[in-house]
Amino acid sequence: MSTYERRVAGKRLKRIDGIGKVTGKHVYASDFALPGMLFGKILRSTEAHARIVRLDVSKALALPGVRTILSAQDIPQILFGTAVKDRPVFAADVVRFRGEAIAAVAATSLEIAEAAVRAIEIAYEPLPAVFDMEEALKPGAPLVHGAWGDYQALPVLDREGNISGRSSMAGGDIEAGFAECYRVYEHRFTTQHVHPGYTEPRTAIASWDGNGDVSVWCNTQLPFDMKNMLAEVLDLPASKVRVVVPGIGGGFGGKLRVGVEHFAAWLARRSKRPVKIVTTSEEELTDAYPRQPTVITLRTGVSKDGILIAREGRVLLDCGAYANSGPATAALALQMLAGPYRTPHFSYESVAVYTNKGSTGSFRAPAGPMGNFAVESQIDLIADDLGIDPLEFRLRNVYREGDKGPAGDTVSSVSIEESLRRAADAIGWKDRKPGPDGGKSRGKGLACSWWLTTGGSSGVYVKINPDGTVTVVSGAVEIGTGAMTGAAQILAEELGVDLGDINATDVDTHLSPYDYGAQGSRTAFSVGNACIAAAQDLRRQIGELVGPLWNVAPESVRLEGKGVVSGNNRLSLAEVAALSQRTGGGLISHGTFIQPMPTFDPTRVRNHPLPAWTSHSFHTHAVDLSVDDVTGEVSINRYVVAQDVGFAINPTYIEGQIEGGVAQGIGQALSEEIVYEGGRVLNANLTDYKMPTMMDMPRVECILIEKPSVNGPYGAKGVGEPPCIQPPAAIANAIAAATGVRIQTLPITAEKIALARLKDGD
Amino acid sequence: MSLNASSRSAPPAMSFSFHRPGSLDAAIAFAREQGDAARFLAGGTDLIIQINRGRVAPRHLISLDGLGLDRIDEAATEYAIGAMVTHDAVVNHPGFQTNLVALAQASAVVGGRQVRNIATVGGNIVNASPAADLVPVLLALDATVDLRGLNGTRSMPLDRFLVERGRTERRPEEILTAVRFDKPPAASATWFLKAGRRKAMEISVICVAAQLVRGGKARIAIGAAASRTVRVPDAEVLVERQGAAAFREAGRIAADAVAPIDDVRASARYRKLLVAALVERALVACAGRIERGEA
Repeated sequence: MSTYERRVAGKRLKRIDGIGKVTGKHVYASDFALPGMLFGKILRSTEAHARIVRLDVSKALALPGVRTILSAQDIPQILFGTAVKDRPVFAADVVRFRGEAIAAVAATSLEIAEAAVRAIEIAYEPLPAVFDMEEALKPGAPLVHGAWGDYQALPVLDREGNISGRSSMAGGDIEAGFAECYRVYEHRFTTQHVHPGYTEPRTAIASWDGNGDVSVWCNTQLPFDMKNMLAEVLDLPASKVRVVVPGIGGGFGGKLRVGVEHFAAWLARRSKRPVKIVTTSEEELTDAYPRQPTVITLRTGVSKDGILIAREGRVLLDCGAYANSGPATAALALQMLAGPYRTPHFSYESVAVYTNKGSTGSFRAPAGPMGNFAVESQIDLIADDLGIDPLEFRLRNVYREGDKGPAGDTVSSVSIEESLRRAADAIGWKDRKPGPDGGKSRGKGLACSWWLTTGGSSGVYVKINPDGTVTVVSGAVEIGTGAMTGAAQILAEELGVDLGDINATDVDTHLSPYDYGAQGSRTAFSVGNACIAAAQDLRRQIGELVGPLWNVAPESVRLEGKGVVSGNNRLSLAEVAALSQRTGGGLISHGTFIQPMPTFDPTRVRNHPLPAWTSHSFHTHAVDLSVDDVTGEVSINRYVVAQDVGFAINPTYIEGQIEGGVAQGIGQALSEEIVYEGGRVLNANLTDYKMPTMMDMPRVECILIEKPSVNGPYGAKGVGEPPCIQPPAAIANAIAAATGVRIQTLPITAEKIALARLKDGD
Repeated sequence: MSLNASSRSAPPAMSFSFHRPGSLDAAIAFAREQGDAARFLAGGTDLIIQINRGRVAPRHLISLDGLGLDRIDEAATEYAIGAMVTHDAVVNHPGFQTNLVALAQASAVVGGRQVRNIATVGGNIVNASPAADLVPVLLALDATVDLRGLNGTRSMPLDRFLVERGRTERRPEEILTAVRFDKPPAASATWFLKAGRRKAMEISVICVAAQLVRGGKARIAIGAAASRTVRVPDAEVLVERQGAAAFREAGRIAADAVAPIDDVRASARYRKLLVAALVERALVACAGRIERGEA
C-alpha cells in the first residue's frame, strides 16, 4: 500500500447517486413501467404440506381483463436452486409450505388479477408436515422432499432425507482437549427468522421481443446469476435473457435469488405482453429469503485462568421447504463457532434442515449473528463463572497475527485486540455494572467477531470521454451502500480526476462486464480493484499515445489534475481523449480483479463450500443499556462499534453501513421475528413484524480501525455485512450484566426479560 | 362526485365510488339509502387497509371531510372534539398540555407522523379497537359521544357506546360528530402510558390512562386488555378512598379485573403484569403532577 496523500479516496465526499435518491427522481425497479403492461399476481398455498387434488382456473380465466393463467402443467417441469435444484416455479403435485406459488395470473389491472386469483378453485389433501428442525431429523419424520435423492446438487454437499447439507471442521484432539480442561460448559441457544427489511419490495417487469429474447427489469443484487437462473427456468440459452437493474431499494442479501422474475417472464411469454409483478408485505413475510432460524449447542472447555482449550459445537439451521443458500450458510456457521479465538482442539458440525416453512436465504452476514450470539453469550457465561472480566477473557484468547484459522488457513492483518480495547474504552468498560437507575437496571456488554470479504470476480469497462469525464460500466449493482461511490472514488484517485467527473451506468447484462454481484461485503473492494486495473491500463494507453508526440518514455506519463503530464509537457485529459478518438478507438479499458484464494488444510474440513476466509475483518460492539425493572423494556443508552475496515474509502458511507447494520442487529436482538404456528405465519404484516424505528435507535458511535488488508484497494476490507453480526450478543451480554438474567433465545423481548426476572424473584 | 384513482405504474387494487356530500344530513341520507354498501370515510388509516386486505368491500365511501367536524371547541365547562380532528391537532392543542396532557400523550403515539396527520379522533373511537390509544383517555375523562342520525342528535356516555371489539352502539347511518368531556378542575391531572415491542409506530400491547382530581374522583382505563377498552371501578373507588397508599393495590386490582388474550404481540400473563405496573405508574405520575403543581 502506498502512503501518498490521496485527494479523493478516503474523503467524505457526497455519493454519486445521492441527488436522484433524495429528490425522488431515481427510478427504482418498482417505478419502472412499459406501455401495455399487464399486472401479475400469484395464487399461494394455504396448506403447509399437501397434495393438490384439484386446480380449476376456468372461472378465473373467464373474468374480463384476465389474459393468462399459468400453473405447473403449463410450463416445463424444471427444478432450480443455488445449491440443490429442489424448487419448482409452481408447485406441481405437492405444496411444501404455506405461501408457496401454485399459479400466476396476468390481467389488465392489479384488481382484476387479485380477483382472478381468488376465483381459482383448488382442493388439497393434507400430508403429514414437519415444522421443527429437531423433529425433522428424527427417524420416520415426514420427508419434505420424498425424491431428494434424485435432485441435482453441488457435489460438495452431503445430503440425506431432510438434511440438505452437512458440514464439519475439526482440528487438534477434541477428547484429549476436554480431558485437560479445568471446566467444561455446555449451553444451547436458539435464533429466529428475520426478514432483511429492504424498503422496496421485490419487483420484476418482463418483456419479450421479436427475436424471442426476454428482458427483465428487476431489483436483483446479482444480475448475472439472475440471468443464468432465468435461462434455466425459461429453458433458453443464457444469451437470450437480458437482466437490467434500473435501481434497487435495498437488498441485504434478500434479493440475491429469484423472487418474482420467473413468474413475470413466464406470464409475459404466454400473454405476449409485458408483465409487472410487485410483492406485497404479506408475500415478503411468507415467501421471501429471511435469515434462517438456528439451534446451536456449544460445549467449551477452558483452563483455570480462562484459556480456551477445546470446543465442540453443533448448528442446526432451518432452510424451510427449499435449500436455497441454507447448506452454505450452515457451513459458514462453523467459522462463526470458531470466532476470532485460538482454540487448539475443536470439532464443529452444522446441519441444514428442510421443514415445511417458507424458504430462507443469505441475509447480510449469513450465519453471522446466530453463531456470534451463541459464542459471545457463552464467553460471558464462562468468564462470569471463572470470575474473569469478559473483556480480559477475550483478550487472553483472541487471534494474533499469523495464527491459523479453523481450516488451517493463515489469519493475517489481525486487529481484534485493538477493536476490543477501543470499543471497551469508548463505552466506559471499567464501570460495566452501574446498577439501579430509577426503576431501571443499567449494564454494559460487548461482543467481538470476525468476518470475510467474499471473493468472486469483477470487471469494469472504463471510458475517458472527450469532455474529460469518465464513464464506468460495471456489472455490480449499487444497492444503496454507497459501494459504487467508493469504487468511483478509487477510479478518480487513479485517473487524477474529481469524483464528480465519474459517471456510473446502470447494470444491463447485455452491456455490462461480468461481476459476481453485490453480496458478501465485496462490491467496493472488488470493483475498486477492477477500477485500479482499468486505470493502469488507461495510463499505459495514454503513455503510448502521447509518448511519441512528446518524445518521452510512455512510462514517464502521469495522470494528475485532470491532465496528462510528463516533464514540462501537459495536455488535458479531455484533449488526450479527443486525440485518441481522432486517431484510434478512444480511451477505453476493461479492468478485472479476482481475490486470490488462500491455501488451507483439507483434512480439517468436510463438505464446506467456503472453508478458508479472505481479507478478514475484525470488529467489536459495545453497548450501554437500561432495563425496566418491571416491564423488561430495554432502552439503549449508548452503542459503540470499533470496526477494522482496512482503509476507509469513504468514512461517511462506512458509518452509514455500520449504523444500518446495528439497526438490523438491534431488530434481531430485541424485536423482530417471523412467528410460525403450525406452518402459518402469524405476523405476515408490518404491523406485527417489528423492525426498529428511529425512536428505538441510539446514536451509533463509530470507531474506524485501518489495519490494511493485503488484497483490498489501498488496503480496504469488506465493510457491509459485519455491523449486523454482534448486536444480539452484545445486547444479551449487557442485559445479563444489568439484570442477572441470561436470555438464550432471540429475540430478547421485554416480555422474556420480565417473566424471567419474575421467575428469578420467586 | 366519483373518483377513479390511478397511478403511473399500478392501478389500485380496489375500486369504489367516492362521495363528498355537502352536509351531514346529505351524508346520513345517502348512507341510509346505500345500507351495507356504504362506509363513512374519516382518515381512512384503518378502513383503506381493511379494503386492501379484502376484509371489507364497500361500493361507496362517504367522505366526512369539509362538514365542520374538524374543530376542537372550548366552552366554559367542557371541551368538544370534532370527529374529524386529527391526532396531530390533539397533540398540539394548547388546552391539552397540562391537566389534559394524557390526550396529547395518547395521540402522539398513534402510528407515525403521516398517520397522525390524517387519522382522526372519531375514527379511533368508532373503529372500536380495544387497542385504540385515545379511547382509554376519553373513558378516564367520562367522555360523552354525540351521534347524529335520521332523527337529529343523541348523546351517550362513551363507556356505554363501546360494546366490544369492532362493535359500538352506532347505527349504520349515524355519524359520530363529536366527543365531549368536562373541563377538569385545576388541581387534577391525567397521564397516559403505553407498552409495545418498540418505542414508536406501535399498536399497544397495553395502554393505560388515569385521571386524578385532588380530593375527588379517580379514573383508570385500560386498553388492549379485554375485548374492549375498560374502566376499573373497584380500583377507582379504592384510590378515591385511600389515595396514594392504594396505587399499587389499584394496579393489582386492575390486573385481576382485565381479561387479556395470548397473541403474537404478547402473552396474557405479561399483559397482566403490564397492567399492574402501568396503572400504578400512571397514578403515581398524576399524583406527582398535582403535587408539583404541573397539572
